[in-house]
Amino acid sequence: MTTPAPKNIKQIDETTLGITWNDGRECVYPVKWLRENCPCAHCIDEWTGKKLIQPGSIPDTIRPLNIKAVGLYAIQFFWNDGHDTGLYTHELLRQLCQSEECEPEKKAANAQ
Amino acid sequence: MSDPQLQEKVIEALKTVQDPDLHKNIVSLGFVKNMELDGGKVKFDVELTTPACPVKEQLKSECETKVGAIEGVESVEVNMTAVVRPTQHSQPILTGVKNIIAVASGKGGVGKSTVSTNLAIALSLTGAKVGLMDADIYGPSIPQMMGIPITSPKVAEENKFYPHEKYGLKVVSAAFLTKQGQPLMLRGPMLGGIIQQFLQNVEWGELDYLVIDLPPGTGDVQLTLTQKAPISGAVVVTTPQEVSLIDADKGVKMFQQVKVPLLGIVENMSYFVCDGCDKKHTIFKEGGGQSLADDFKIPLLGKVPIVPGVVEGGDSGVPIVMGDAESPASKAYKELAGQVAAQLSINQTKDDKIDAGFELAWKS
Repeated sequence: MTTPAPKNIKQIDETTLGITWNDGRECVYPVKWLRENCPCAHCIDEWTGKKLIQPGSIPDTIRPLNIKAVGLYAIQFFWNDGHDTGLYTHELLRQLCQSEECEPEKKAANAQ
Repeated sequence: MSDPQLQEKVIEALKTVQDPDLHKNIVSLGFVKNMELDGGKVKFDVELTTPACPVKEQLKSECETKVGAIEGVESVEVNMTAVVRPTQHSQPILTGVKNIIAVASGKGGVGKSTVSTNLAIALSLTGAKVGLMDADIYGPSIPQMMGIPITSPKVAEENKFYPHEKYGLKVVSAAFLTKQGQPLMLRGPMLGGIIQQFLQNVEWGELDYLVIDLPPGTGDVQLTLTQKAPISGAVVVTTPQEVSLIDADKGVKMFQQVKVPLLGIVENMSYFVCDGCDKKHTIFKEGGGQSLADDFKIPLLGKVPIVPGVVEGGDSGVPIVMGDAESPASKAYKELAGQVAAQLSINQTKDDKIDAGFELAWKS
């Protein structure tokens, strides 16, 4: 099964990104949380999957400058700390959602 | 009967003519154009979404029969035309290209380049404007198959270059960037650079279809293309036997992961037609392509037989659809072109498409 795709991606406030998905779900993301979960090879060890970002090392002032689609399957963030190598797939963004509405689905996915 | 009344009846009759792929009648699809009535003489255009439409003749005769049956109609003249609709995208590259078709396989040697070449020519024989990009950087074989001598591309303005042209197709290949017979020895990141050039620096002009012949596998070139090019749909080529199917399965899953719409499967080397008895011999087993298509619930777009003419055509630079129109392989390729074009038209009518050109500047 293919994962749902974003229908609308918008800035909710200065530190929050919102995505409306084509299955109707509304997701919210604190931008700092997104930066901390960057999936690129600098931030996650490619072989072990271990997080390489030190906890607490991302400042509260972190903001995206620009956000772009990558092909039809992912989104790229250009951060104000100069980092831009993470491609956030739609699948990953579903997992990173911080809205309460998504909790049951994520618990189900983790239990599997 | 006055003309407006008759025209209304004609339109009512045409509303009962369904496009079997798009599942709507040709009036609500907006296909009926330029209707003229002169007494009992009725004349109109039916503008399809592709000149390669596989049901063109069927639609034409259905229109003629249904309109001809209306009281007061003396003669019907149906003119079939086509304007290829673009797959919507807002990326700033390949802006003159309406549809981009990626031809892929998991495994090498299944005949991707042969399929790409003949598919591209079959599409262009229907009247469409077609380009062919040889994205197999390490093993470019399109120039040989198209019979194009290795010469440097003609330089255009602003760092751009023109594609080579043959049989009405526009062609680019990495082979044109090196001396004849010299290998291109490059590491992965350079591959992406060449593909970027093919996407950004080629003067393609206006194209209805750009066919991209991918290298085998699921590597750098595939990733660069899926990230940078607004691919309208992918075709996965396989041969019927199990070893090929395992890799084709991965090819399909790759496109699913990067959300490139799958147009369907092509089974190449499907069967051998013996010239003495016309019997179909299934050398590499039977039904492999169909079972792969069934697994993913995507169409089996075509089955192309093994005939010596296909190989001769590839080696001599006269692809079989050009050289021998009556060959069973040529017929299979023409049907394939129709199916590919039809699937693209079907995909365009879906409304849950993803915007590949999305961009958001953050306000603070």
